[in-house]
Amino acid sequence: MSIATERRGLRRAKRLADAQGDRTIVSDYDRRRRGVRIGMRATHVFLFVALIVAGLGPILWLMKAAVTSTQDTLQQPFALWPNGIDWANLSTAWNDIGISLYFWNTIVIALGAWFFQLFIATTAGYGLSVLRPKYAPILDGLVLATLFIPGIVLLVPLYLTIVNPPLVGQSMLNNYLAVWLPMAANAFNILLVKRFFDALPREVFEAARTDGAGPVRLFWSIVLPMSKPILGVVSVFAIIAAWKDYLWPMLVLPDPAVQPLSVRLPAVQSQTELDVFLAALAIATLIPIAMFLAFQSVFLRSAGLGGAVKG
Amino acid sequence: MTTLRENTVVRDERAVDAAIPKPKPTRRTPLTWLRGGGLWNLLFLLPMIVVFAVFSWSPIVQSVIMSLQKTNLITSHWVGLDNYIAVLTDPLLGEAVINTLWFAVLAMIFGFPVPLFMAVLMSEVRRGKGLYSALAYLPVVIPPVVAVLLWKFFYSADDNGVFNTILGFVGIPAQPWIQDAVQAMPSLVLEATWAGAGGSIIIYLAALLGVPPELYDAAEVDGASIWRKVWHVTLPQMRGILFIMLILQVIATAQVFLEPFLFTGGGPAGATRTILLYIYDKAFRNSLGGAYGEATAVSVLLAIALALLSWLYFRLTNRWSSS
Amino acid sequence: MKSARKVLLAGATAFAVAGMLASCSAGPADGDSDDGRVQLRVATFPPGADAAAYEAFAEQEKQFEKLHKDIDIVGVEYEWKGPTFAVQLAGGSLPDVFTVPFTDTKTLLENGQLTDVTDAVKKFGYAEKFNPVVLDGVTGDDGRIYGFPRQAYAMGLHYNRDLFEAAGLDPDKPPTTWDEVRAYAKQISDKTGKAGYAQMASGNTGGWQLTAAIVARGERTQTDETDGSAKSTIDNEGTAAALQFLHDLRWEDKSFGSKFDLDWGTINQEFAAGNIGMYTSGSDVYSALVRDFGLSPDSYGLGVVPVEGNDPGTLGGGDVAVISPTVDEGAKDAAATWIDWYYMQKLMDEDAAVTDAKTLADSGQAVGTPVLPVLSREQYEESLTWIESYINVPRDQMSAFIDNIWEQTPVGEPKKKTQEVYALLDTLVQTVLTQEDADISALLKKAQSDAQALLDQ
Repeated sequence: MSIATERRGLRRAKRLADAQGDRTIVSDYDRRRRGVRIGMRATHVFLFVALIVAGLGPILWLMKAAVTSTQDTLQQPFALWPNGIDWANLSTAWNDIGISLYFWNTIVIALGAWFFQLFIATTAGYGLSVLRPKYAPILDGLVLATLFIPGIVLLVPLYLTIVNPPLVGQSMLNNYLAVWLPMAANAFNILLVKRFFDALPREVFEAARTDGAGPVRLFWSIVLPMSKPILGVVSVFAIIAAWKDYLWPMLVLPDPAVQPLSVRLPAVQSQTELDVFLAALAIATLIPIAMFLAFQSVFLRSAGLGGAVKG
Repeated sequence: MTTLRENTVVRDERAVDAAIPKPKPTRRTPLTWLRGGGLWNLLFLLPMIVVFAVFSWSPIVQSVIMSLQKTNLITSHWVGLDNYIAVLTDPLLGEAVINTLWFAVLAMIFGFPVPLFMAVLMSEVRRGKGLYSALAYLPVVIPPVVAVLLWKFFYSADDNGVFNTILGFVGIPAQPWIQDAVQAMPSLVLEATWAGAGGSIIIYLAALLGVPPELYDAAEVDGASIWRKVWHVTLPQMRGILFIMLILQVIATAQVFLEPFLFTGGGPAGATRTILLYIYDKAFRNSLGGAYGEATAVSVLLAIALALLSWLYFRLTNRWSSS
Repeated sequence: MKSARKVLLAGATAFAVAGMLASCSAGPADGDSDDGRVQLRVATFPPGADAAAYEAFAEQEKQFEKLHKDIDIVGVEYEWKGPTFAVQLAGGSLPDVFTVPFTDTKTLLENGQLTDVTDAVKKFGYAEKFNPVVLDGVTGDDGRIYGFPRQAYAMGLHYNRDLFEAAGLDPDKPPTTWDEVRAYAKQISDKTGKAGYAQMASGNTGGWQLTAAIVARGERTQTDETDGSAKSTIDNEGTAAALQFLHDLRWEDKSFGSKFDLDWGTINQEFAAGNIGMYTSGSDVYSALVRDFGLSPDSYGLGVVPVEGNDPGTLGGGDVAVISPTVDEGAKDAAATWIDWYYMQKLMDEDAAVTDAKTLADSGQAVGTPVLPVLSREQYEESLTWIESYINVPRDQMSAFIDNIWEQTPVGEPKKKTQEVYALLDTLVQTVLTQEDADISALLKKAQSDAQALLDQ
């Protein structure tokens, strides 16, 4: 099926769903009853208030507090700038506390994590699903087995491996590879990608092969372009996971100069004035939120895809 | 009759077979392997193999080995099951297990019904679903460390603490929150629920779309009210996803570390010390070197417990879930 | 397409190489530096320390290298804390010269992780000059010396002069008995609404401060037996009194404030922000308070921790400059020379002391924070006169401590399983502070038996 046909099919499905009026629990007939209509309105109001207060509330408060002085925040946490807006907090946080550096570190870690995870997941998925050498099932099993092992089991030996890596002469502490490579050993990514590749039509591959495409060409020009959805999902997972990571970077990046925001912020809390600290927290939140707002559909689609399993 | 035809078919096939020239069977040599694309197969799988070998399989094996040894990182010697006995008789581990269970129970009470309820509501509104989805997912997007540090400030036990001020608006006296052994764990669960609900809501929303509409029609024909439709159609249809979310949540809460570590460090008086925190303390708290054997022993025990739990769970739910 | 594969492989390789190079430390690995000098990696400050501290160090590094042209000093960030120390210690990647607190020297000694420096100490001629109590901490069972005690502190009672004044108390007269501490605390919290007295309670610091409070009431938490084992003596009247004190301040007087999970950093932060009237901590914490926590020097006061009971003492601690056992022979002499120059000479030699003080003062670092002498009291007081013109800390606000500390008996921290026992005591402190009806005597019995189990391991 070509991509255009696929798109047309999706659009048709969406129109059908819309036409059914998103057939849900409450039917059109139900809605005509006055009691139900009032109930629906109340639901709307409740949802709106609850989601604004719970979803947006703390973030808005943080933004407000980021430009409020310490005393105001402590004594009148809900007052709106009784003594004026303190913009200096932001520049102090960015420069003096060095948020700009940790911010950059977080970005570097996220990009590296994204690259390595995508690289490992696609090459492994391709090898296990498309190329399928004789020993693939063994590898498949070994990889899947790690899904059932909680990460904590790896913690201590992995840490010791990083401090004393095989072959490499010196410790990998403070080296970003110590963060990127363990993240790349992610069975879930490989599972997702492999299943997606499994579902790709084999005829396309056969056609390419008879045209003389070698394994690399097949990978780069056929399989990857067809896999944009799953690549998007894995990318989102990878970047989010890298952004959130705390315990592992804390252990393997003891030098503050290379630490990401998630590790550095708790460490400087006691040496930082409250208003500057809150400004730092606000800055640390802005980029993920901005990215989310810009790529909402990708985020939400991946979030739904990650768990949508039929009963 | 059939026999005659089969024979004819077979004879035909054999005739056809004989007519096609077949290539001579080749011996499997390194050269044929190479020509057959074996090298590329290996090259594509090599990155995964190397990364998994060094950073996944090997540490898992090492973990089991370390749990049977006592080491000071320079020398190690085998001690058999001594580490296991030591941790199993440690009252602090018992306390950690109870704390973790308590967290899991609280998380199930708060964190399970609330997203489901919100998702059901959200699936009904005709307009604004996109906005509501985005709002619900917003807390998930905030980095967990930022969320915890922010809530740690919210939980200040001063009269002017953010939450205490809110309570003051409705006349409730100031609470100690995370400074109190009884309130600490629920406070942690509250923040964890807030931060994670959005993800569950989105998943449930997607699952709700998968409920066949004919079932609702059929229920209406039978005169079912909205509430009965939810109870008898929606929830049973969502059974599969609900079961999976439940076990995933239990497995996740068994490994909770960030909230207790950053909020309370395991306090007050060990009230929030979870299993992961116990392991971390054993391995990393002492700057002269941790009890690595005991730490890995506990993590192995936890892995076994979770595996058993998952196996039991799937056996049970297989009998319950609809085909 | 072959070029695509090349791009992919090249990209991966480039990333890997860039990643490795990006964090490779510059310069050659330990051993000899390029120009034939002996390279010495020495500990400087914990990560994240003030830029000015590094400026001062760079200046001192220059001075040393001018005197000893055959030694190349490389400063390395260093922090005795957390998992990295243990692993680096075992892996041998610590700096060649670093410092270790007293409490850990005995353990490191027993594990053979410290270099014998007896000859160096004798060569420099100050084996007899050390305070014998202090020297005992770095002497192994074989009578050899394994480190240079370089700095010691005693516990002090830090108080906020501004809060004293606001409460109507005389800022030059800190309390001298525990009853006075309680009364002053109540007055501060009543008049200003701030915590009158607070104490650390988490991250092993709760146990540390509780031990100090116990020692100040005339008891000890641990005794060393002659056969090398140790006995836990936590269950005693001093502990009960200390815990009861905390309980009363928290639940009856309500002068403890509302934070029961403070550690060394957060209590400093609260104090510097003016939220705590009094607390106990090491006497040398002034430097950190001003530099890292933003304390304004005018509000600071320091007194002695009140003592009562038979045989009371003041808990003290300190650290030792040691040489890593992985250092080779040639570098060992260089290491000893550096230790002597950087850590010891300023205690004994007027020129060295003045140079050191001037360098620190020029970079805005604190000079003159009250410490305990590792040599003799006379030597210490004499050294203070040498650097008098550079002292930039308000010593007159600390006179209550400076004048009275000599009457107190310094007591060392317990030597066996120190951190584990402190962790146990943390729980004790937190329980008393968060449960009004905590049964102190039952808690003490349990704590002692738990501690004994640890010591017997």
